[in-house]
Amino acid sequence: MEVQKEAQRIMTLSVWKMYHSRMQRGGLRLHRSLQLSLVMRSARELYLSAKVEALEPEVSLPPALPSDPRLHPPREAESTAETATPDGEHPSPEPMDTQEAPTAEETSAYCGPRPAKVSRKRRSSSLSDGGDAGLVPSKKARLEEKEEEEGASSEVADCLQPPPAQAEGAFPNLARVLQRRFSGLLNCSPAAPPTAPPACEAKPACRPADSMLNVLVRAVVAF
Amino acid sequence: MYSKLHENNLNFPFRAGGGNDIQWCFSQVKGAVDDDVAEADIISTVEFNHSGELLATGDKGGRVVIFQQEQENKIQSHSRGEYNVYSTFQSHEPEFDYLKSLEIEEKINKIRWLPQKNAAQFLLSTNDKTIKLWKISERDKRPEGYNLKEEDGRYRDPTTVTTLRVPVFRPMDLMVEASPRRIFANAHTYHINSISINSDYETYLSADDLRINLWHLEITDRSFNIVDIKPANMEELTEVITAAEFHPNSCNTFVYSSSKGTIRLCDMRASALCDRHSKLFEEPEDPSNRSFFSEIISSISDVKFSHSGRYMMTRDYLSVKIWDLNMENRPVETYQVHEYLRSKLCSLYENDCIFDKFECCWNGSDSVVMTGSYNNFFRMFDRNTKRDITLEASRENNKPRTVLKPRKVCASGKRKKDEISVDSLDFNKKILHTAWHPKENIIAVATTNNLYIFQDKVN
Repeated sequence: MEVQKEAQRIMTLSVWKMYHSRMQRGGLRLHRSLQLSLVMRSARELYLSAKVEALEPEVSLPPALPSDPRLHPPREAESTAETATPDGEHPSPEPMDTQEAPTAEETSAYCGPRPAKVSRKRRSSSLSDGGDAGLVPSKKARLEEKEEEEGASSEVADCLQPPPAQAEGAFPNLARVLQRRFSGLLNCSPAAPPTAPPACEAKPACRPADSMLNVLVRAVVAF
Repeated sequence: MYSKLHENNLNFPFRAGGGNDIQWCFSQVKGAVDDDVAEADIISTVEFNHSGELLATGDKGGRVVIFQQEQENKIQSHSRGEYNVYSTFQSHEPEFDYLKSLEIEEKINKIRWLPQKNAAQFLLSTNDKTIKLWKISERDKRPEGYNLKEEDGRYRDPTTVTTLRVPVFRPMDLMVEASPRRIFANAHTYHINSISINSDYETYLSADDLRINLWHLEITDRSFNIVDIKPANMEELTEVITAAEFHPNSCNTFVYSSSKGTIRLCDMRASALCDRHSKLFEEPEDPSNRSFFSEIISSISDVKFSHSGRYMMTRDYLSVKIWDLNMENRPVETYQVHEYLRSKLCSLYENDCIFDKFECCWNGSDSVVMTGSYNNFFRMFDRNTKRDITLEASRENNKPRTVLKPRKVCASGKRKKDEISVDSLDFNKKILHTAWHPKENIIAVATTNNLYIFQDKVN
């Protein structure tokens, strides 16, 4: 549990650092961004493996689970942020649940197929023990559910295997992670991650085409 | 002759290690005294020229300050000449890239001197995007006695000119002028981390995160791309270039280091684009050291060839490694700079210190290497005696010719007297840039905003 919490914390911290580095003079530093994403990926792997160890007996859970509204961005997720992932890639976990929503985090390294639409439906999870519901994908629209069922089971299955070879680059679906992260921040209250800048909350949340996220993606890929 | 230095000797019977039992003494410190450091004053690079007579520093504000060593005073040969300010100029200004809506920092990332060919000195300075060739020349005479001009430059009324005279050069106070002779711009999409002058003294390379370009010093509107590691899909990016340097003797050879801890040696004769290395230097990771942050601390922050050209040195976050160019599978020597930080990597990640890029340097004879650490400590490793020493750049040892006391960090457990515990280290006081005089035992060590000059004790 400690390991999980620590990994969560590192993931949160990493995303915040990534955001912050974007704001620095001189612009996005490629090397720094790469290093941050590497740490995030390691944290995520650590988190997932610790999670799997804890949940080993519960591997065969029902895949469809209701979700917490705060975990999902209120606006339409940016579809440009999403890319289809190759086989073997881990779908990214949902942001963590409830009380720790502001500090909860997901990694950026891997993202499974993600729906464009997001459901506001509250979800509870039989896995939930106060902090970890997010690992299992949510139950949204039916189409999405189906994808996520596959995602969930493959994710769990993958966790049991050794971490995949380093096939992915630094920024797969970074945009997605940031989107989730900041939607979490925007939705919840002052208990933001360690030093989340207020500017973050000032960002407009409801303009998909101009989302900060999109700008970030463009900044990263625009070279 | 009885020298005051002998007095010091009585109090310091202990001979400091590091470099043939050199005892390092404080010589000078440059820079503001107050603790409130202006960001523009943060030193970002330090470099001696080829003779060692000139010492250049670059700062975050885009300025270059050059110090010149006084000629040795033959009567008082206690110490070698002091370094005094020779020239100061604004090398780079902040710029704005309108296309990307990004500000381009004026911080000087690197300075490299050209070998001296005539009375003037030349150096290359670079910020994130633009490299400039500066000419530094002296003027110590000026023409006087013009017929049509007054001494202050005003024109005389021609009707008042009754005689003619020939203007003559008269001595004046030395004036050092710096003028930009070439500006090499618009060749780098990413942030320039290195420049290196070729041994042919005609070309040089500049490296950013993903590409290395080859320039001719005379030609500013063209450069050749010799390394390009940008993947077709940026999302597949796994490593970046962190440093690059030309071989000191072979004008066709250069190396570049990566964020994954590898060094590639390339031969420009092999092909126009040196994407395929001639040699790949990589040490397999020690599985017992594997940790959460292993990947990022293996990133190489600096690579330097030895003067002989036989070896190269790399610096990663915790260690310095010496590689023999003839052996690719592992370094021939490894020195731990601050191994006690290995258990603190998480905290260092939180305070961003884990991203600090330390540089390293060789002494003139390639027998000792030096690099910086935290708490204003810097470390020297003697390759022959295998002894190492930790010294501190601090205003407390301010008196000239004070011998520096070796420092020791206590990793854990009982702290002996005079040792410092890891937890009391000041991580805001970091020494990232150091330089060693090419011929003598004089070193320049940059703290955040001060430049310290130390010399070995001369009897």
